[in-house]
Amino acid sequence: MAEAVYPTREEVDFVIVGSGAAGGIMARELATAGHSVVLMEQGPHLRAADFKHDEWGYDVNRDLTWNHRRGHPQTFRKTESETAEVRDSVCGYAHNVGGSSVHFSGNFWRFRPIDFMEASVRGSIAGTNFADWPIRYEDLEPYYTRVDWEIGVSGQQGPWDPPRSRDYPCPPMPVKSSGVLLERAAEQLGLTAYPAPVAILSQPHNGRPGCIHCGFCNGYGCEVDAKSSSMAAMIPQALATGNCELRTGCTVGQVISNNAGRVTEVTYWDADGVEQAQRARAVVLCANGAETPRLLFLSANNQHPDGLANSSGMVGKNLMFNGYTSVSGLFDEPLNDWKSVPATRVVHDYYSLDPALGFYGGGGIDSRHPSRGVPMGFARSAPRMFGGPAWGSEFKNNLARQFSHAAAFEGHTTSLPLDSNNVTLDPNVTDRWGRPAVRCTYQDHPDDIATMRFFYELSIELMEAAGASNIDGFYPENGQEGNVHLLGTCRMGDDPASSVIDSSHRTHDVENLFICDGSSLVTSGRGQPTMTIMALAFRAAELIDQAAQRGEI
Amino acid sequence: MTRSINRREFFALTARAASKSFIVLSTPAILAACDRAAPAREQQAAFQTLQAQEAAEFEAIAARIIPSDETPGAREAGVIYFMDTVLADDREQELTILRQGLADLQQSAQAEYNQSSFSQLTEAQQDALLVNIENSDFFATMRFLTIAGMFSLPEYGGNRDLVGYELIGFENQHAWAPPFGYYDAEYNGGGQ
Repeated sequence: MAEAVYPTREEVDFVIVGSGAAGGIMARELATAGHSVVLMEQGPHLRAADFKHDEWGYDVNRDLTWNHRRGHPQTFRKTESETAEVRDSVCGYAHNVGGSSVHFSGNFWRFRPIDFMEASVRGSIAGTNFADWPIRYEDLEPYYTRVDWEIGVSGQQGPWDPPRSRDYPCPPMPVKSSGVLLERAAEQLGLTAYPAPVAILSQPHNGRPGCIHCGFCNGYGCEVDAKSSSMAAMIPQALATGNCELRTGCTVGQVISNNAGRVTEVTYWDADGVEQAQRARAVVLCANGAETPRLLFLSANNQHPDGLANSSGMVGKNLMFNGYTSVSGLFDEPLNDWKSVPATRVVHDYYSLDPALGFYGGGGIDSRHPSRGVPMGFARSAPRMFGGPAWGSEFKNNLARQFSHAAAFEGHTTSLPLDSNNVTLDPNVTDRWGRPAVRCTYQDHPDDIATMRFFYELSIELMEAAGASNIDGFYPENGQEGNVHLLGTCRMGDDPASSVIDSSHRTHDVENLFICDGSSLVTSGRGQPTMTIMALAFRAAELIDQAAQRGEI
Repeated sequence: MTRSINRREFFALTARAASKSFIVLSTPAILAACDRAAPAREQQAAFQTLQAQEAAEFEAIAARIIPSDETPGAREAGVIYFMDTVLADDREQELTILRQGLADLQQSAQAEYNQSSFSQLTEAQQDALLVNIENSDFFATMRFLTIAGMFSLPEYGGNRDLVGYELIGFENQHAWAPPFGYYDAEYNGGGQ
């Protein structure tokens, strides 16, 4: 069937704001269930044929992620006593149909049972909002399996993996040299490396082709639709139902609510910059962990003076980035790790660090090319990683040797939820529509930094065991100043006083307003949140559909 | 002339990877990507943003950052044409830094070597002046744009004939099949 077209004054069943990892699934599920859906996306509908191996365009000009030069500034400060400054990349995400699931690296680790009940197992942590989820792994497992099969995941059950009801649909990606080196090093240290699960097809699945190993995953859109973005896997099916209209180039300004405390419509600027409003029976925000709280703040009115659905005061708080570490080295033989998918092996022995260490944390380590496989990024950073001059003949000749001989072991770690790490509206900076910019305030908790140090040091040990030379590395020891994981800012919970949405993704305050994206997460997981965001979206869509069938929206 | 994979080379590759039959499914998309590859600006083309004189000076600096020796450098890659292209795109701030930095550098050339043009100095003299300003915004901007012009897609004006990619052993090919490198070849040859 053809894509639906709805008049703005007609009340559709659902407006979904944001077509990314969650929004694409939400649209497909609700439209498939027979609901009329308008899906709002501020960016364009780029498809496989639009993507290129274009470092300058994507990494410097930010063609996908946008920035202040494109009229979308964000500001950053470490603490609430500082005035935030405009930065190039603070809360990064891709502005296109499919959102960041289009340009992400595709690492698809499931959360584990411990992630959902860590506060009660590990104990609360003073000064933080560390809490259990209102759901358990068992509640989400069927939806993880749906992600595996309907989105498309390649992998192989590892020794520490949580139980799964069905095997992976695609075998793991072929191991790269960096994966072999990590596996051998892990063995020497008594650890276990196993095939990294990725949202990239190792063979044809659901009518999409398998990966052709071009190497441009992280930061780039897949040129053959082998990467399992919601753009590739969900949007075509959503549109084919005939119940879903995708409105691209449309930026939502406000969610309008009435005196009865119900949302009635969303206002937006259309692709021509004309102000419009779309009426709807219910609204689902899937705009990501920065834009969803921003939109709630922008939708404040007399009944909701601190922002829509913010009676708890938790909107925008508990922002979690996940920590990261990177240790690089050079090897005698060529790895050519710039080919194929980013990571092919992962070490998960330290998913939960021993509490006896004196700090909370955990994570995993995977193997990659140290500059995401891209030449320009490598040339810029190689002297910092491997030593030697930064310009001149020696610099040039070093590059020639190093690019294909380099590997990195990268750590991905936990972040604690804090009141003081948050998204608010900037009082001084506005975007091209005149809306206050996203202002991010963030300083990693000391435990998060200690966790990063642990994974950094472990990665150095692994790199030494792998036999590398010129070993060097990095972790943000003074705290991160931006990330692309935007988690926790409208957290899920049973208690309306300490959470924004309930366990079915309905906001506690507004009965026909739902939220599902990275903001829903209660804890950060171990650095690969997208699979969980997608599993939550499948589950939320099912619950929202059931509520609609019962006449409860 | 770009050395990006062309159709003939692609089909040869496909034949070599025939065991990976799924690659054929992706053929239209890969061919489309090949066709999108655009060539670098011709040498001697007119500048859009830069004055010819300052372009010669910037090119001389770029040529010290990535020199031409046994292999092509910034000059052969057409880095100056890349700079000319991207500086036209809302990058007044960088252009201001570059012009001010060049003026300062020329003053130093005059003071040290009684020569008003940086590009007329010997390479040793050029390097001596650049070492003094290694930590300046000007040099950081020159280094960034030189590297970017060496390693970006030729359609931005540099990386002519993909000499940058060739230098570091990168092939901008749209399809590969394993083994990718030495260690995974060894691993899979070892009966794993």
